[in-house]
Amino acid sequence: MRRQFKDTVTDLAGHDDRVVVILGDISHYLFSAFQEKHPSRFYNMGICENALISVSAGLSAQGFHPFVHTIAPFITERSLEQIKLDMCYNEFGGNILSCGSSFDYAWDGATHHCYGDLAILRLLPGMEVIQPGSRKEMDVLLRSQYNNGRPTYFKLSDHPHAIDVDVRFGKGVVIKDAASPLTVVTAGPLLANVLEACKDLSVNVLYFPTIKPIDKELIARYRDTRFLVVHDGFGLREAINEVPGLNTAYHGVPDAFCVWYGTVHDIRREIGLDPAGIHSVVQQAAASRR
Amino acid sequence: MHPDCKKIRHDILIASRASGHGHIPTSFSIVEMLYATYRSMKHDPANPRSPDRDIFILSKGHGALGLYCVLANAGYFPVEEVKTFGAYLSKYGCHPDRRKVPGVEASTGSLGHGIGIAVGMALAFKLQRSPRRVFTLIGDGEANEGSTWEAIMVAVNVGLPNLTILLDFNKSQVRSLQIPNPAERLKAFGCDVHDVGGHDVAELLAALQAPARGVKAIVANTIKGYGCRTMEENIFEWHRKSPDAAQYDALLRELDAEGAAA
Repeated sequence: MRRQFKDTVTDLAGHDDRVVVILGDISHYLFSAFQEKHPSRFYNMGICENALISVSAGLSAQGFHPFVHTIAPFITERSLEQIKLDMCYNEFGGNILSCGSSFDYAWDGATHHCYGDLAILRLLPGMEVIQPGSRKEMDVLLRSQYNNGRPTYFKLSDHPHAIDVDVRFGKGVVIKDAASPLTVVTAGPLLANVLEACKDLSVNVLYFPTIKPIDKELIARYRDTRFLVVHDGFGLREAINEVPGLNTAYHGVPDAFCVWYGTVHDIRREIGLDPAGIHSVVQQAAASRR
Repeated sequence: MHPDCKKIRHDILIASRASGHGHIPTSFSIVEMLYATYRSMKHDPANPRSPDRDIFILSKGHGALGLYCVLANAGYFPVEEVKTFGAYLSKYGCHPDRRKVPGVEASTGSLGHGIGIAVGMALAFKLQRSPRRVFTLIGDGEANEGSTWEAIMVAVNVGLPNLTILLDFNKSQVRSLQIPNPAERLKAFGCDVHDVGGHDVAELLAALQAPARGVKAIVANTIKGYGCRTMEENIFEWHRKSPDAAQYDALLRELDAEGAAA
């Protein structure tokens, strides 16, 4: 997905001289062609995430479209106040694209995990919060949102799903409608595991590449069903509950640090987000009457 | 004391007394810095959004009352309006809101933010090959924030001769984390440093107008509460306070006496 980010942004920069890339000393090599083509619009600015956001806000205030990029926890959790005040409160805007997703850097441990970003950023007035699940979704959503002057967050992963979904900003997608009393909801690359888990189960599956604004219309269409949010992060369930009166349950990240290493697949298996783990939770939920 | 700056201090006292809100000493310490900066900038009070204007950002947002009175003095709005300072529906909050107050370019209040925005704007003007300049005023308390130094490092590394950082060195941090010798530190960070008397308009103007050799940093040696001895000698008591009737009269007398002595 990072490669897609680079491809899309390089293409946009060719047509739009207001596109500026700001890196927090990550993905530098990936952007070497961009740097060669647009040296004055490429800054590997340093490991200083607070400044990266404030500077992006200042660029945005003067008409540029900054793309600020580094590892998810550092650019979102560490710089939350800069995003809140410099981009949102000041209405300066900017594009924030993180890498690492929730557990891509499993081997690096809990300092590099990030599953709170969607939840905290959706609290900020004016913020757009997006979790593309594939390269195609990344490309479509970035092109549609990058120059609207609003602060927009893209949570990228190096482990995209391979499912072809047509996405539009602000719209959820019905992946499967089984006229079931149980609706499974997910977002991002985890869709692959959710679909694999649900292939033999008679449940509805909804998919939300945009967390904020959430597609309330689609949710309301399923309001008479029970919702089970299956997600490797926080924020999606909270967004779903913007529609009042829903019956929602959550299967995902525990209230504990994930202290194992290995790969994203190891972490997902450990917390029950591998296909087998999801299957058993969904099956149980489908069997329960409540 | 420069007569315009004395007048501005009067306005600050009047607005604080009328509104019941304070931050007078920090506003007093930056009057000359603000006054000299606006005299050096290209700006048009009749057209606050003019596309070729220079930018000023008050990074230490709690100096808002001083900024409002300087903007009013420059002609952005009537100073009478500032008496509503901090009131429910006033435009003039105790920290400035760019969407409400003409001439305010960034909404600030949390320390260590405005300077980073200023760096981004200066970078934007560099990319546009524009002659527009950016000025930002930070406090010595604000120099406690790591993000302040991040912004300075980035500005120097990117190369922004169109950026001027004014440091209000009013020693507000003596009981906390005082940064000793900020001029040396800013030099070590790569800034083109001018170390000046912060209440001397001529010295400030000379530093502001000197040709830039990189990111310019003006260390203004100031006195918190400058102009009223009571506040100068009791900075912590007066940090966030509005005077009652008797205190107000006494402060005005002190200010007038200061003016007469100068």
